[in-house]
Amino acid sequence: METSPLSVSIDFDSSHLFFPTIIHWALALLFALVVVFRLVPFLAAVKRGEKTLPIIGECMDGVRFFGTLVLIVGYFALMSVVGNLFPYTGYGFLFVSIVFLFLMSMMYMHTRTRRKVITAAINAVVAPSLAWLIFAKLFYITLP
Amino acid sequence: MEILSYLDITFFLLASIGTLIGIIFGAIPGMTATMAVAVCLPLTYALGLEHGLALLLGLYVGGISGGMVPAVLLNIPGTPSSITTTFDGYPMAQKGLGEMALRVCVVSSLVGGLISAMVLFFFAPLLAEFSIKFSYVEKFLIILLALTVIASMSSNMLIGIFSGVIGIWLSLIGTYSLSDGGNGKTRLMFDALEPYLVDGFSLLPVLIGIFGISTILLEAEKGVKSGLSGAKLDMGKGGGFSLGLFKGRLTNLTRSSFIGTFVGMLPGVGGSAASVLAYTQEKNLSRDSSEMGKGAPQGLIASESANNALTGGALIPLLSLGIPGDSTTAVLIGAFTLQGIQVGPLFIPENQDTWTVMMIALVFANVVMFFLMFYAIKYIARVVLVPKYILYPIIVMMCVVGAYAINYGIMFDVWTLLIFGIFGYLIEKIGLEVAPLIIGFILGSSAEVYFVKSLESFGTYSIFFTKSPIAVVLWLLIAASIGFSIVLGLKSRARQKMELSQVTGSTQQGDRHDG
Repeated sequence: METSPLSVSIDFDSSHLFFPTIIHWALALLFALVVVFRLVPFLAAVKRGEKTLPIIGECMDGVRFFGTLVLIVGYFALMSVVGNLFPYTGYGFLFVSIVFLFLMSMMYMHTRTRRKVITAAINAVVAPSLAWLIFAKLFYITLP
Repeated sequence: MEILSYLDITFFLLASIGTLIGIIFGAIPGMTATMAVAVCLPLTYALGLEHGLALLLGLYVGGISGGMVPAVLLNIPGTPSSITTTFDGYPMAQKGLGEMALRVCVVSSLVGGLISAMVLFFFAPLLAEFSIKFSYVEKFLIILLALTVIASMSSNMLIGIFSGVIGIWLSLIGTYSLSDGGNGKTRLMFDALEPYLVDGFSLLPVLIGIFGISTILLEAEKGVKSGLSGAKLDMGKGGGFSLGLFKGRLTNLTRSSFIGTFVGMLPGVGGSAASVLAYTQEKNLSRDSSEMGKGAPQGLIASESANNALTGGALIPLLSLGIPGDSTTAVLIGAFTLQGIQVGPLFIPENQDTWTVMMIALVFANVVMFFLMFYAIKYIARVVLVPKYILYPIIVMMCVVGAYAINYGIMFDVWTLLIFGIFGYLIEKIGLEVAPLIIGFILGSSAEVYFVKSLESFGTYSIFFTKSPIAVVLWLLIAASIGFSIVLGLKSRARQKMELSQVTGSTQQGDRHDG
C-alpha cells in the first residue's frame, strides 16, 4: 500500500480537518487565479477609468441602504427584548413588527401624501396581526 | 388507495393558492419564484408533507410563469427567465395585442409545464434506479460533476468554481457529525461562537437571507424606485386569440419545451439560459424568423414554453440524485429536510405515494396556472403596480417568521438571515455567483462524507478513477463540461475582441451591441 504515491491514511481523531484542509488549499489556489485573471485586470481598468469599484465607486441611496440595515438590526434586536417581556405569546414579534413595517414603509416612500401614509399605517397594523394570528394562533408556530 | 386520502379539498386549495401567490411574486419585477418559495416556507411548517408540497409546487410553477405579465405589458422581465418574452411580447402590447400575447404565453407555458412534468415522471425513477447502486465514490463524483456543470455554465468558469468552493467551505462550519461517521469535533470557527454554530448555519435561514434580505438590500441601495405605480397597463382590446396561432408551431413548442426541460436538469443553471437557448434555436431553425423581435407569437411560444418547462426538469436531479437543478429547487430541498425526508436515489422507491402526490400537484398547479392566467389575467396584472414600500417590509417580516420558527425559536437563526443577507449583497456586488455558492453549500457536507469515507475504506486516491466504469464515465463528463466551458469562453472572448476592434474602427457602429 505504502508504495503507491496516491495512497493515504486518515487518522480518525483529525479526520474532521482532512476535507477542510483540502478545501482551504483549493480556495487559496482559486483565489490566486482570481487575483491574477480577474482582480488585476479589473483594478487596471479601474485605474484607466473604464470601470468603477463596486459599492465604493457606485452611486447609491445611502440613506435608504443604511437605514434599511439599521432598521433590520433594531427590528431583530428589539424583537427578542420585547419577546422576553411576554414569553411564549409572540407579542414581541407582533408589536415590534408593527413599528418596523410602518417605519420601513415611510423610509421607502419617495413622496409622502396623506393617503400613502394612511395606507402604510393600515398595512403596518394588518399584516403583522394577520401573520401573528395565522402562525401563532392557528398553526401554533413559535414566534419571538 | 392510500393516496386518495392526501388528495382532499385542502390539497387542491393549497396548490391553487400557491399558484396564485406564485404568479403574483413572479409578476412583480425584482421578486422571483425562489423568493416566493423561501418566503412562504413558514406556511408549510404546520402542514404535512403532501400539503406542504402542494403549496410549494404551486408557488414554483406560478412564480416562473408570472414573469410573463410585466415582460409583455411593461417590457420588464418579472423573473430573469422571461427576458426573451419581452423581445416579442412588448412590441405586441404596443400594437394593442397585449392580451393576445399573454394568452399565447399562457398556453405555451402550460404545454411546457406538462411536457416537462411528463419527462420528470418517466425519467426521474429511471435515473434514481440507476443511481441507487452508486457507492460513496460515485456519489462524490456526481457532486463534483454537478459543481463543474454549474461552474461551466456561469458567466465565468473560474468565478463559478470559486463561488462553489466558498459554498462548500461554508457548509463545513460546525461539527463533523457523528451520525455521518465523523468524529464529532468542531472546526472552522472561533470558540466563542461554538454554542451557536455547533451544527453549522441552518440551511433555510441561509437561503432565506440570501434570496430575501439581500434582494431588499440591493433594492434599497437603488433607492426603492416607485416608478411603476405611474405606469399604464395597456392590455389592448380583448380577443384576437385563437388556437390557430399555434398552427405550424408545434415543432417550436415541443422543441422549446424539451430544451427547457433539459436545461432545467443541469444543476444551477437558471431559467434565463433555457429561454434564451430556446429563443435562439427558434430563430436559427424556423423557416421564417424575420418577424422575431418585432412582435411574433413564435418568439413568445419559444420563450415561455422553455421557461415553464424548467420546473419539471429541475425536479429531476433533485428527486433522483438529491442535487437541486436550480436555486428554487435548492430551497425545496430545505422544505424536504424540514419534513424529515432525505431526497436522493431512495426517495422515489421508498415514498411512492409522496412521489405520485407530487406529480399530481405539479400537473394540477400547471392547470390552475393556465385557468388563472388565461381568464383572470386582467385583474392579476394589476399587482405589478402594488407599491414596493408596502411589499418589502412584509417580505422582511415573513423572512423573520421563516427563520425563527425553523428550529422552534432560535434567535441566532434570525441573525443568520442578516449575516447572509449582507453576504448575498456583497456576493452580488463583487461579482461572485449565487447559484454555485448555494449548491456548494447544500452539497458540501455530503461531499465531505463521501470523499473521506471513500478514502478511509480504500486508502488510496486512485479509487476515484478505478472504482467502476461509471466513475470513469463521470470523469469524462466532468472533463467535457470543463472543455465545453473553455471553448465557449475563448469564443466569446474572440467575439468581444472583434466587436471591440469594430467599435474602435468605425464609431458609427458604436451602438450596435446595445441592441
